Amino acid sequence: MKKTLALVLVALFLVAGVAMAEAKPGDGLYIGVVYKQSGNAYFQASVEGIQKAADELGFTFEHDGPDDGSNDGAIRIIENYITKGVDALIISANDPDALVDVCTQAMEEGIKVISYDAEVSYPGRDLDVQPSSAKNIGLTLLESIAKSVDYEGQIAIVSAMATAPNQNLWISFIEEELEANEAYANLEYLGVVYGDDEYQKSFDETQALLNQYPDLKGLIVPTTVGAPAVAKCIQDAGRDVKVTGLTLASDMKTFIDAGICDETFLWNPIDLGYVASYAAVSLINGDITGAVGDAVNAGDYALTVEAKDDSGATILYLNKLNVFNTDTVNDWVDIL
Amino acid sequence: MKKVLSFFKSWEFFLICLLAVTCAIFELKDQANLAAGLAKKDVFNFVNIVRSLRPYLLYAFMTLGMMLILALGDMDISVGAIATLSVVMLAIVYRFFTQSGMNNMLAFVLSILACLVTGVLCGGVNGFLVTRFKELFPMIITLATQLFFRGFSYLLIGGETITFKDDTFALLKELNSLIDLGWVKLPVMIPIFLAFAAVFFVWLHLTSGGRKVFAIGTNPTTARYSGVQVDRIKMICYVIAGLMSAVTGIFFVGATSSSVKADIMDGYHMYAIAAAILGGFSTDGGKGSVIGAVLSLFIFGILKIGLGTLFGFPDSSVNLSVGVILILSVLIPNISQDIKNANRVRKQRAQTAMQKA
Repeated sequence: MKKTLALVLVALFLVAGVAMAEAKPGDGLYIGVVYKQSGNAYFQASVEGIQKAADELGFTFEHDGPDDGSNDGAIRIIENYITKGVDALIISANDPDALVDVCTQAMEEGIKVISYDAEVSYPGRDLDVQPSSAKNIGLTLLESIAKSVDYEGQIAIVSAMATAPNQNLWISFIEEELEANEAYANLEYLGVVYGDDEYQKSFDETQALLNQYPDLKGLIVPTTVGAPAVAKCIQDAGRDVKVTGLTLASDMKTFIDAGICDETFLWNPIDLGYVASYAAVSLINGDITGAVGDAVNAGDYALTVEAKDDSGATILYLNKLNVFNTDTVNDWVDIL
Repeated sequence: MKKVLSFFKSWEFFLICLLAVTCAIFELKDQANLAAGLAKKDVFNFVNIVRSLRPYLLYAFMTLGMMLILALGDMDISVGAIATLSVVMLAIVYRFFTQSGMNNMLAFVLSILACLVTGVLCGGVNGFLVTRFKELFPMIITLATQLFFRGFSYLLIGGETITFKDDTFALLKELNSLIDLGWVKLPVMIPIFLAFAAVFFVWLHLTSGGRKVFAIGTNPTTARYSGVQVDRIKMICYVIAGLMSAVTGIFFVGATSSSVKADIMDGYHMYAIAAAILGGFSTDGGKGSVIGAVLSLFIFGILKIGLGTLFGFPDSSVNLSVGVILILSVLIPNISQDIKNANRVRKQRAQTAMQKA
């Protein structure tokens, strides 16, 4: 009897010892995840990334979102997480301003607040995690179309509205790079047309481009609404023009399979959740404070916190876009 | 002595028991969670509950207005839409005046006034239609006005989110703040709400005006023949319901960091109706108590907090508890009445059988 007891005790110590040896940075930490809306495949994918981080770091988490995407629903969920005593909140907000107060109150309770995908306005957060900087989007799209057309020939851009701030920022980086980078010297840049994020207008503008430039080789479409219209127009015309852009996988699968697009891009919600979790654990453990220059290492990502603007708000860019090509598009059609 | 006994038979006593039982179950579950290592800390305690009641008290003000309508025997399902339209007006007026260079504080006061006036006007529209077209059910009328008010909100601002970041408008956030009393952080909302509730209590239960409301709910024809100005009283009740909706809207804007959209507070009328019904008001009219409605609001709030934090219910499904409690609250009095009736019938039969023998 005594022997068995002793054996059990030894075994217990051994188990405890092994557990001690494998202590993970997130052990015992508890994180609450709030996304825009429950039942949304995009955010389910982000939870997948958070789960992956949880397996690696050892923290536990819960996730929920309001069924109607309302702000008061998100506030109720956050209040419940505060009550439960979470160490950090990872939030994707429907409205950047509506959650600032409840998040500020959470921060006063010692909870770290990280927004991901859709930001909570500063100062309602410690850190914002976003998929990509504007410059990275511009450069990625340009490089992609250059590869598709073998670095020579005529290319153009079919954008959204002429006033769309995001698109204009990305295009300005594309134009800058075209001027500056020798690799693109043989590309003839024809300029931008605007499809106004309407299917028919995008289609018609593309048709006009095709008629005007018989030697057109490639089009960049930095808008999810315009991309399928542009690709369809090229398919109908039977022309050999390549398309790349920011698109949904489900919209572009047929065009990727048809060879009109070699590849298109969008964010990767899985990685976004993954990196946000690593940032959250680092914040809780005090390894970083969310200040400019702080380093976040998550899997293959080695990232540095940047200043968002001069308000004191900080941001972490993954700067790696999700590639949809013939190999990967099938994995994403149900999610994006 | 009789008074004490009748208290134990009252609906309010039942609600207090319900509240106690709910709290007891949650406390046990909390201890069990702690013992099983499922929770990191004591979740269900007074301090936590009081702090996190705020989101569930937003429609409390609306409930006060809804009580009057139910006491009349009517139903107003437009209150949520009135609240939305009122705060949309608040935002538009504030934006207009501040952009035209008016002093922020003055613009703020004017916009609050505009918000309250909008609530009163919307309530007035309901009241007018209900008293003018008696052949229509008030529920149908307010269904129509609900669609109109919400549609009108969309017409005014579309899908836009209006936010103000200046210090003056931020005063609204104070309505959602916590007073640190040392032992507990009390939401400002709770004392304000209780003050409103006290006014309603005095008016509805202690003055002749309130008695007239119940009289109309019991039997409008009798009330009219007894000299009660039915239409006038009804009009007043609908206007008050509209005004309380506007007040709800102001608190909502305070809680959501002054973000105004046209789709906010959708479905709030249902929470208000549910709380009033559990509080003892009935769609038949003529009965109910303010204390019951206040207790119901706290019961629903605590129930939702407990289910969400202790039992891990997602936010979208905690409302099922409201459904269950509501059905029970209607069934229990009915069943107990049935049992009483059955007993009486049995006694009578026994008596007649004795007489025959």
